[in-house]
Amino acid sequence: MPMKYALFLGCVIPVKYPGFEKATREVLKALDVELVDLPFSCCPAPTQMKLVHFDSWLALAARNLCLAEEAGVNLLSICNGCVNTLKEANLALKNDPQRRNRVNEVLKEFGHTYQGSIKVKHLLDVLYQDLGLERLGERVVHSLSHVRIGCHYGCHLYRPPRLMYPENLSEAASYVPKSMDHILSLLGAEPVEYSRKFLCCGSALGTNIDQEAANEITREKLSHMRKHHIQAIAVGCPSCFSQFDRGQMMLERKYHDGFNLPTFHISQLIGLAFGLDRNLLGLNDHRISLEPILKQIASGA
Amino acid sequence: MIKSIWELFNQEDLFECYQCARCTGSCPAAMVLDHSYGPRETLLRCLNLGQEAVVNDERIWYCTTCQVCEDRCPQEIHISDLLTAICNLAAQRGNLPEKIKFGVDLVAKTGRTLVISDKVHRDRQKLGLPPLSPLAVDEIEGILKKTGLNEDLDLS
Repeated sequence: MPMKYALFLGCVIPVKYPGFEKATREVLKALDVELVDLPFSCCPAPTQMKLVHFDSWLALAARNLCLAEEAGVNLLSICNGCVNTLKEANLALKNDPQRRNRVNEVLKEFGHTYQGSIKVKHLLDVLYQDLGLERLGERVVHSLSHVRIGCHYGCHLYRPPRLMYPENLSEAASYVPKSMDHILSLLGAEPVEYSRKFLCCGSALGTNIDQEAANEITREKLSHMRKHHIQAIAVGCPSCFSQFDRGQMMLERKYHDGFNLPTFHISQLIGLAFGLDRNLLGLNDHRISLEPILKQIASGA
Repeated sequence: MIKSIWELFNQEDLFECYQCARCTGSCPAAMVLDHSYGPRETLLRCLNLGQEAVVNDERIWYCTTCQVCEDRCPQEIHISDLLTAICNLAAQRGNLPEKIKFGVDLVAKTGRTLVISDKVHRDRQKLGLPPLSPLAVDEIEGILKKTGLNEDLDLS
């Protein structure tokens, strides 16, 4: 039974990093997953719209959920911010009948009624839970040659756990994401633990008010990654990517730390392990050079 | 339009806080502000001085919405929901950074936070990507009219 999802691209990836979109489409094609494109709007951002006008945030999120419901498919997101908004809105509407009725009052004029019939997933959820490591493993043709990778899950993917992963909470109501580490091990890379692994990248601070302050947070992360001899960073979000890539470039100009830590979106690393053509993975848009890592991967060390 | 942060956050939950400061210790905003500001104090000010003591502070926008505060709170207080409530009211009152104003206005007018230029279309074509679905901007405008976005906020 082929798996089918509505691909939720968000605002940033299709415009700033279309390579991640291409890599995602190619990877999922290789895994026989069908994708549907729907006229989604901005999710809207948990870091902007939700902070300034909760009702508008919920109504627009609900509309996006309705589009997927009307197509009868679950949502697949490749951005942490989007998955956070859509998962939280989905739960809020399912669990709060008053809120749901108010939102449906707003939407009915436009032909939408929220039903609560679909699920929202991040690419990592689809790969790790829906497809499973075995199915992924079948497509791996090229090992990632023990590249030491620091996974940066980001915040919006899994916090707060009671909303993002309610079925996977520990007894102490906690959740520690492992999907990216396990997937990367499968692909032949070496995921490395590091201090402050779960610290925010700071991106929202930059987008909203103070880019330099945001970069200070990113610098803290980069320092710890270097201490643990990490060679590359893996992320599942374009905002986190921007901090570690463009942000690192800005930090280099200011501090000359010489981190030289390139960042990949997880779809790009999977694409490399699947042996996909470099030109299909958006590998030319990175500010911090990927060449040393790509060389190591190609050499099959 | 909200008149008080208590419409979006349950005031009684604040009584659970025993000021352990685990939230501030984990907060990236507090980190860059040298811990002169953080969730612990914000919560205490709300509790003891009321919402007016926090709603005009520009520093509330330093919150990255990382939710670590909420995740680590031993009393399971939904601290990030408190910040959301404060920011919502603050925005209504005009305490709203320019960058956010611009971003939200762009969503209201185009349905997206980034503009789609011709270059974007060309770059996508080069990669063999499908063209972006045209957005029902009228629908989005209509929805936001009903939720009162431009009534409650000055996005000019």
